[in-house]
Amino acid sequence: MKYLALVILLFLSGCSESLVRVMPYEKEYFAQDKMSLSPLAERAEQEGHIFLIREASAGGDSSFQGGCGCR
Amino acid sequence: MKKIIVLIVLAVSLFGGVSKGDKAVDFKLKTLDASASYKLSDFRGEVVLLNLWASWCGGCKKEMPEFFELQNEYKNGFKIITVNIDKSSADAISFMSSVEKTLSYKTPFVSLYDAKKTVPRKYGARGMPSSYLIDKNGVVQLVMVGSLSHNDIAELKIEIDKLK
Repeated sequence: MKYLALVILLFLSGCSESLVRVMPYEKEYFAQDKMSLSPLAERAEQEGHIFLIREASAGGDSSFQGGCGCR
Repeated sequence: MKKIIVLIVLAVSLFGGVSKGDKAVDFKLKTLDASASYKLSDFRGEVVLLNLWASWCGGCKKEMPEFFELQNEYKNGFKIITVNIDKSSADAISFMSSVEKTLSYKTPFVSLYDAKKTVPRKYGARGMPSSYLIDKNGVVQLVMVGSLSHNDIAELKIEIDKLK
C-alpha cells in the first residue's frame, strides 16, 4: 500500500509539472511586445522618473530634471 | 529500497528530455517552403547539429547567421538541420530571407518547419533555442541550451572535428 501511494504521488507530481508549466517552446505569446510590462520605451523612462521622484529618494534616474516630476 | 530507486529513475526518465548518450529521436518534417520533406535518419553517417528555433525568440535569431557561416565552413560530413516552431511558417521564411540578404547567399542547410512543436516535445527542450550535436550513429553527444556566441561556436567546431 505504501509503494502504491508512493507511485501515485510520483506520477501525479510528474503530471502536474508537465501540465502546469509553460514550456520554453510554448512562450510565443509571452514574447510579444504587448506582453511586456513597459511596451513603450520612452514612456517607461518617464514613468521611472516620476516613480523615483514620488516613491524613492534616488533622484531623477537617467533624466536630468530637478526633482519636481512634472517635466 | 531497490524498488523505490527503480520507480524514481523510471518517473524521472518519463519526464526528462534528451541528454548526452541518448539515441536522437527520429522525426519527419517538411521544409519551410513545404517543397520537400526530410527525416533525421536521412542524415545518418553525418555529424548533425539539430537546432530548434522560432522567429519570436531573440536568441534564436541572433545565432542564426553563425549557423550560416558554420555550414559554409563544413561542406562535407556535417549538416545543420534547423527546426522552426513558429505558428506560421511565413514569419520564419521572412526572417531567413533577411539573413540571406545580409549575408548575400542562400540558406546552406536544411530548414524544416514543425507547426505542432513535436520535435521540442520529443526532445524535452529546456530552453529556446536548443541545439543538439548528433554523431554519425545518431547518438546525441552535446546538448546546448540558449543562444550560441561566437566563442561557443568555436568550441562546437572542436567537438565537430572530433566526431567527423
